[in-house]
Amino acid sequence: MIPMSFINPLSDEGKQIVRKDGGDLNRIFDENDMLIETVSSIKSQDISDDAYIPRNYVDLVIKRIEWYVEKKSDLKYNFKKFAFLFDAKITKFDVISFYILCQAVGVKFGPNSRESRAIVELQGQLIENRLEELITSERTEITEQIMNNLILQDKIKWTQLADLISSKKISMQDLVLKDGNVILDFEDYLEEFKDEVMHRQPEKMYNLLIGNRVKELIIIKMIMQNTENYIKSVHEQMSTVEPNPTLLKIAGEISEVLSKEIRYYGSGSGDGDVKASPLNVDLLPPCIKHALDGIKSGGRNEVIVLFLTPFLSYARLYPSVFRSNTSLKVSDVDADLKITKNEILPMIHDAADRCSPPLFDDQPQEKVNINAKLGFGMHSELKLQHEGETTWYTPMSCEKVKLNMPGLCKPDETCKGITNPLSYYNRNMRTK
Amino acid sequence: MFKQATLEERRKYYREEWDIKQVPDFIGNFIENREFGFDHFGRGPNDRYKVFSTLDYLKRFLRSKTPFAAYCSVAYYQKPRRRDGWMKSELVFDVDAKDIPIRTCGCDDVCEICLNEAKEIVGGLIDTLKGDLGLKNMHLIYSGRGYHIRVIDDDVMGLGSDVRSQILKYIVGADVPKDKYDDAAGIYDLQHFSIPLGYPKVFTQRVKYGIFHLTEDSKLDDVNLKLLKDVIKYRNLLEDDEWGLFKNRIGPLRYKKIIKGIASLNMSLVDAKVSIDLKRILRLPSSLHSKVSMRCTEIKNIETFDPFKDAVPKFVWERED
Ligand code: SF4
Ligand SMILES: [Zn+2]
Repeated sequence: MIPMSFINPLSDEGKQIVRKDGGDLNRIFDENDMLIETVSSIKSQDISDDAYIPRNYVDLVIKRIEWYVEKKSDLKYNFKKFAFLFDAKITKFDVISFYILCQAVGVKFGPNSRESRAIVELQGQLIENRLEELITSERTEITEQIMNNLILQDKIKWTQLADLISSKKISMQDLVLKDGNVILDFEDYLEEFKDEVMHRQPEKMYNLLIGNRVKELIIIKMIMQNTENYIKSVHEQMSTVEPNPTLLKIAGEISEVLSKEIRYYGSGSGDGDVKASPLNVDLLPPCIKHALDGIKSGGRNEVIVLFLTPFLSYARLYPSVFRSNTSLKVSDVDADLKITKNEILPMIHDAADRCSPPLFDDQPQEKVNINAKLGFGMHSELKLQHEGETTWYTPMSCEKVKLNMPGLCKPDETCKGITNPLSYYNRNMRTK
Repeated sequence: MFKQATLEERRKYYREEWDIKQVPDFIGNFIENREFGFDHFGRGPNDRYKVFSTLDYLKRFLRSKTPFAAYCSVAYYQKPRRRDGWMKSELVFDVDAKDIPIRTCGCDDVCEICLNEAKEIVGGLIDTLKGDLGLKNMHLIYSGRGYHIRVIDDDVMGLGSDVRSQILKYIVGADVPKDKYDDAAGIYDLQHFSIPLGYPKVFTQRVKYGIFHLTEDSKLDDVNLKLLKDVIKYRNLLEDDEWGLFKNRIGPLRYKKIIKGIASLNMSLVDAKVSIDLKRILRLPSSLHSKVSMRCTEIKNIETFDPFKDAVPKFVWERED
C-alpha cells in the first residue's frame, strides 16, 4: 500500500514522521546511510554516477528542485536520474525534505515570492507524476483515501473549493455540479443523472467526464493550496522567532538552483522568443495606446494601475513571460531597477497625468498601488528590500480588458486570434 | 410608461401609493448594514453613503424627498456610512433588456418583446443557479427595464470577485466547452450537445436560446451573412434537439464559428461589472424608476409576472395623454 504521506506530506501521517525523525536541523547535512542505501536499492534508479544519489536531507531538497528545473527546461531531463523521487520507499526521507524545503522558503522568502510559487508548483507536479507512476488500483485507492482525509464530509459543495476556483487552480466548468454538490463518485453520479445517462454507456461517460481525474485534480490542488498555506504560516511565525541560520543557508541554495531555470529560458531556443528591449510605441496594441493617452471618463485607477502598469513592465522587461511560464521578480531582469525607474514608471505616471482629472490629483495613493503591482509592496518608494511583499502582476488578458474596461478595446487586424495584449506586442515585434 | 415621471408624479407615488411594507424583508432585515444612495435630480446617484437605522427613517426620507431614484448596496458593512468594514455582499446578476446581445425586436430602447426575452433569459439563469449551483435563497426583482437576480445564500455572500466572475461565465455559457476527453483507454471526441450534464449541458441550452433568437441583423464575430442565413434556415432541427444533423448541415468548421460567436455574446447577457462589484448599489425594490415611470418590484412568481400590469404605478394610468 502506498503511504498517504508519500502523496500528501501535510497529512497527519506526514506530520508524525517529522515529529519522530525530523526534529534536528543540525544534523540534516550529515551523511545519511539509510537514505543512500534506500535510493541505491531502487531498480529504475541510475546509480552510475555518485552525484545522482542524495547523501543527506539537504541534498534531497536540492535534488527535488533540480528535478523540477530540469524537467521544465526539458533540455537534459533524464528520468532515471530522478527515479527515486517516484518510489514510495523514500517516503520518510521525502516527507522530511519537504518540510525543510517549505520552512527554508517560508523563512527567507515568504509566501508571495517567486521561490514559494515555484515550490508550490513543484509539489503539485511531483504528486501528479507520482500518481501516474502507480498502477491503476493503487492509484484509485490512494486518491480515494486522501480525498476522504482532506474532505471530511460525505459530499463536497463547490463553495468549499472557492479558494481553488478563485486562484484559477480549478475551473468551475470542469466540475460536474448538481444541487451545489461536486459529483465525484460513480454511485452519486448514477443516482443524480440516471435519466440522462441511462442509454448512453453511463460508465464510459463517467470515466470521461469525472473518473479519477477530477478527484486527482482536486486533491492535487488542495495539497498545493495547503503547501502555500504552510509556507505562509512559517513566514508569519518569523515575526516572533529569529530565523534559523541553517534554513537561511538552504534557502540561498534553493534560490540558486531555481534561477538556473531562468537561464535556460533566457538562452532562448531561437524559436522567435522576444527579447527584452526598449519599448517600441508604434507596435503597441490599440488598447494600450488608448490608455497611454489618458482616461477621460471613469475607471482611471483600474486602467492605469491594473492594466497599464503590468503591461508596460512586462513588455519592457520580460515579454516572454507567458511563453516561459516562469514567474520572475522585476529585479531578476532589471537588477538595479534602473529601467523600471527611468523608463517604465515615467510612462505610467505620464499616462496618469493625462487622465482627466489627473489621477494623482485626487488619488495620490495610487502611486503606491502602482509600486505594489510591480511587486514592491505598499510603499511610496520603489525599494529592493520591499520586493516580494506583493507579486508582479502579469498583464491582463483581452477578455478581462473587455470585461472590466469598457471602451478600451478597439481591436484591429492584428488582434485576431490574440488573447493577451502582450502577445499582440510580441507578434508585432517579431514581424517588424 | 416609458415616459419620465414629473416631480408631481413622484410625490404622488411616494406619498399616496408607495408603502414601506413593499420593501422586501431581505433588505429591511439588515437595513442598518446597508449603504443607501439617491438620485434627486435625474443625473445619477450622487447622494450616497446614506444610512438608515430603521425602516421608519427610510420611510420618512422617501416620503419627504421623493427622489428620482433610490438605491441600496448589495454589500453589508459594519460602517456603511464610510463603506467600511465590508462583511459580505449579495451575489447579483443584472439582465437589462436593452443590453441583451441578441434581440428579435430591434427596438432602440426597451419594449415588450425584449423585456420578455430578458425574462426568458433570467428563467434559464435561475434554473442553473438552483439546479447546478444549489443556491436556494434568491430574490428576483424587476428593475424597471430588466431584471436583477439577487442571491443571498450564506455560502456565496462571502465570495470574492474572481469566483463571482467564474459563476457568471458558467451560468451564461461564456466559454465553448472542450471537445476532447480522455480516460485510461484513449482520447474521445465529445461535443457539448452529446453530454447531458454539467457545464456542457448549460452551454447547450444557452446556445440553443441564442440560435433561436438570431436574426439576419445579428452581429457575431467571425460569422458572415451566409452562415447566419444557413443557421436560421436549419435551426428548426434543434427543436427536436437534432444537434448532430444541424452540425452536419452547417458544416463542422462553420459550426465551431457559430458556437464560438454565441459564446462570446453570452458574456453580455448579464452586466458583468455588476456581478463582480462587491460594493455596487442597486435600485431599491418598491422605489420608482422615474425615467420610465415604472416601479422596481420584487417578483413572487416569474410565470405570471407581467411588468405592464404589475410594475406600473397608479399615476401612469391617470395620465391624461
Ligand atoms: S483585442 Fe486585445 S490587444 Fe486588441 S485592442 Fe482588444 S484588448 Fe487590446
Ligand atoms: Zn425591444
